[in-house]
Amino acid sequence: MQHRKIALLLSIIPGLGQFYNKQVVKGLLFLLVGAAFFAAFGDLLNMGLWGIVTLGTEVPRDNSIFLLAEGIIAVIVLVFGLGIYYANLRDAYLNGKLRDENRQLSSLKEQYQNIISQGYPYVISGPSLFILIFAVIFPILFSFALAFTNYDLYHSPPANLVDWVGFQTFSEIFTVDIWRSTFFDVLAWTVVWTLVASSLQVSLGILMAIVVNQKDIRFKRFYRTVLVLPWAVPGFVTILIFAGLFNDSFGAINNDILAAFGIDPIPWLTDANWSRLALILMQGWLGFPYIFLVTTGVLQSIPDDLYEAATIDGASVFAKFRHITMPMILIAMAPIIITQFTFNFNNFNIIYLFNGGGPAVPGSTAGGTDILVSWIYKLTMQSSQYSLAAALTILLSVFVIAIALWQFRRTNSFKEGA
Amino acid sequence: MNTKMYKKYLGLMSGVALSLSLVACGPQESGKEDTGSKETPKNQELVVWEDIEKGAGIEDAIAQFEKDHDVNVKVVEKPYAQQIEDLRMDGPAGTGPDVLTMPGDQIGTAVTEGLIKELDVAGDVQSIYTEAAMQSQMVDSKVYGLPKAVETTMLYYNKALISEEDLPKTLDEWYEYSKEVTDGKKFGFLALFDQIYYAQSVMSGYGGYIFGGENGSYDATDIGLNNKGAVEGAKYIQKFYKEGLFPAGIIGEQGINVLESLFTEGKAAAIISGPWNLDPFAKAGIDYGVAKLPELSNGENMSSFMGVKSYNVSAYSKNAELAEELVEFLANEENSKKRYELTKEVPAVKALADDPVVKESEAAQAIAEQSQFSELTPNIPEMNEVWTPADAALQTIATGKAEPKEALDQAVETVKGQIEAKHGGK
Repeated sequence: MQHRKIALLLSIIPGLGQFYNKQVVKGLLFLLVGAAFFAAFGDLLNMGLWGIVTLGTEVPRDNSIFLLAEGIIAVIVLVFGLGIYYANLRDAYLNGKLRDENRQLSSLKEQYQNIISQGYPYVISGPSLFILIFAVIFPILFSFALAFTNYDLYHSPPANLVDWVGFQTFSEIFTVDIWRSTFFDVLAWTVVWTLVASSLQVSLGILMAIVVNQKDIRFKRFYRTVLVLPWAVPGFVTILIFAGLFNDSFGAINNDILAAFGIDPIPWLTDANWSRLALILMQGWLGFPYIFLVTTGVLQSIPDDLYEAATIDGASVFAKFRHITMPMILIAMAPIIITQFTFNFNNFNIIYLFNGGGPAVPGSTAGGTDILVSWIYKLTMQSSQYSLAAALTILLSVFVIAIALWQFRRTNSFKEGA
Repeated sequence: MNTKMYKKYLGLMSGVALSLSLVACGPQESGKEDTGSKETPKNQELVVWEDIEKGAGIEDAIAQFEKDHDVNVKVVEKPYAQQIEDLRMDGPAGTGPDVLTMPGDQIGTAVTEGLIKELDVAGDVQSIYTEAAMQSQMVDSKVYGLPKAVETTMLYYNKALISEEDLPKTLDEWYEYSKEVTDGKKFGFLALFDQIYYAQSVMSGYGGYIFGGENGSYDATDIGLNNKGAVEGAKYIQKFYKEGLFPAGIIGEQGINVLESLFTEGKAAAIISGPWNLDPFAKAGIDYGVAKLPELSNGENMSSFMGVKSYNVSAYSKNAELAEELVEFLANEENSKKRYELTKEVPAVKALADDPVVKESEAAQAIAEQSQFSELTPNIPEMNEVWTPADAALQTIATGKAEPKEALDQAVETVKGQIEAKHGGK
């Protein structure tokens, strides 16, 4: 029998293969890690894996939600363990193969240096990877898992157990009348809101930057400072003040500004369409300064030679703008612009603070300006529909990720980075 | 051996390893049982979650209890409407309270989730509380808490604008009064009738109701929000908005802020609000009076939702018996009275209604009087589905976007749909 096979088989118990290959220290190390793994995580794996499969069998002893969390941690730990186990098998096999080929195995010192030189990046990024897994991956897995359970008011610990129900919650979104109609209403407005509000703030920002950056403009610093001010005030303060300004019967916009032009009061807060318009205008105001700032930076980095050369070639102002300024801005800004879209898609603050997603719409469980994320919030906080909210969150992420990926792939700025 | 073979071997190995580790973890977790044996430590500790800024009211009682039972009691203040939310996390983690306080309409949800314990309260203890307050603590005729305080909406009026003698006695008279004084800047009588919490005061007087049946045995399939009386009430409400007596600015999410500032700025003669505003309005420098709500045109007094605050025992409490004793102690007549003196929360103890301490206070008097006409907020979980659609319907009625009948019909349909969707599977 070949050495590699024997080593591989022996390595089913971590370290034995290494012993067989006469690499005692490494073998001990694997054996120790393996033993320590089971000693430290044995209970966690035992409870966690049992918990994630059954989600508890007995009330009030078992709390399904905690079991689920424990189970996910157990799975993560298990994946780590399997990674180490795989390294152990692979090492035994490769060294066995070297012996089969009658080649020299690396000495302990060489192995050590190997690890130091090749493994250095892993050692350095290890801790951050660890934190990343528990701060980012774990919560995502958890809410992902919730979507496939029936976790709601009537299936809540400690009185009741939560069960796996597969795709039932997802199918309910599309089959139960009240969910379906609300979902598509909310989705439609979310898409409109994202596109219009983001486009408005981006184009306003770019326009302002180009105007202020013209050579003939005086007091540039003054304009820049003033235009950045909306960004300097905390967003929620601005939103709450705007909510007061837009008030139908007491707000300054109806009473002072529109009245001065002889325009009748507009139902900003009580009519869904006017509320939507008000929100889009507010988001334009809140969002443009950032784009303005970044664009200003980009504009200043466009070399003057380009414009001089264009002038010599007899290009018009408009042609220069179209063929030099605009492409330069878009190449540099594409990622930022995309983030504006994804940000607005999930822009909970403005919707919730302005009018709580209202005004009310007859026959719908969401308000007239509720976007998906604020509707999910209402479902979770007001009606304990946790699994439904989790399922909607997944659908929502799918949208955002799809749009972002599609955009990222289309823009040059990311291709160059990769 | 080529790489393919090697990959295959590795795959096989990993498979073996995985199944080994999975086999190892059957549901044979015996380790959990032995933690059950309690060693009953000598100096026990109880944790009490009291409402925010109300801790002073139970300080003496706690000290007394500590002395009597040789136990350490820790009081933590938290907003009472959020305590159940925190209990969900803190309870299982072992950092939760033994005794907590919550609004009566959350009891049903808390019981459904199993967050609070059933109490074994003797009949003579139960009988010291007003019947309605005690009812709010019952689910399926089991007791889950003892009432700590009651609150209900009442009428606040600005004494600088209208004197107590001139106070209209009926809503019709208020309507006439408002018509006289309203000029777009100043208003007469205002209320948040675009919310079911306030609008029910009118609608229920004409015969509308939320759920049929009595407290403790509500029938969630029988919804009376669109019956003849409710529609009549809604029509009456709409009149106030239609004729500009209620400005559109008090409709919706921000409406309550506008309403309250209109009152504190002296621009509204009277509003409907709850006891939570007694202090803020006094601090705002308004010389106000309070009274029970006016009568309706059919002779019925306007009703109101009665909120009951209660002391309950957490299902996670390790000293449930002692905690129950503490609940009974805190809610007894003597401590309720002391609490009232310090925190102004009107107690639910029957005997205290005639107590001079309570009788002297105009606010307590108004609450006590209004309580006779008030109804409990249904405490079944299905109630959660009523608020939003009912508010939505009333809002569209207030803004004139919908006729009362069709708006309420639609609201009831939505409520029924949501109850079916969210509570059908129980």
